[in-house]
Amino acid sequence: MSECCGGVKLGQKVPDFEFTTYEPTKGEFGKFSLAEQVKNKRWTILFFYPADFTFV
Amino acid sequence: MGCDLVTVSTDTQFVHLAWQRDEKELANVKYPMGADPTGKLARMFGVYDENTGLALRGTFIINPEGTLFNADFNWYNIGRNIDELLRKFKANVYVGRKTNEVCPSKWKDDGDKTLVNPGAKMVGKVHEALQG
Repeated sequence: MSECCGGVKLGQKVPDFEFTTYEPTKGEFGKFSLAEQVKNKRWTILFFYPADFTFV
Repeated sequence: MGCDLVTVSTDTQFVHLAWQRDEKELANVKYPMGADPTGKLARMFGVYDENTGLALRGTFIINPEGTLFNADFNWYNIGRNIDELLRKFKANVYVGRKTNEVCPSKWKDDGDKTLVNPGAKMVGKVHEALQG
């Protein structure tokens, strides 16, 4: 695997990213983007995990 | 303080839909489940395992300006402590508001003991500052 933290560094701006989501509360697909979070002045917790059937 | 938790794996959104709908353990999931089937985002954050094509258990706290303030990583076989994640999130919000204070390890929530203006005067006096 690559070195720790890839291209992002603590204390530095994270380059914009966007991905498709499944929204359980709506039963629909959606989009999540950092630019949108910044625009709406919201904190983001990104929580990576290996697969849906594993624990947190 | 507005915060959004979003989970990300290298599964597709279709897989998330199927698991969330059918697995009882996921019945109460309210957060968006992100799809990163190419591993692009996982690579960007350094959590992509090239040997398996899966994302490791990485957690990242990004402030409202888009700056990264917390990163931690667990291997596959160790789960994360959500209380500790919440503590770190609250601490980041707190020090973002009170920039002359720092949250020591036992800090849990607003009102708990912080160190104010840590600097030359505190050298050798941290114990007293934490008691006071």
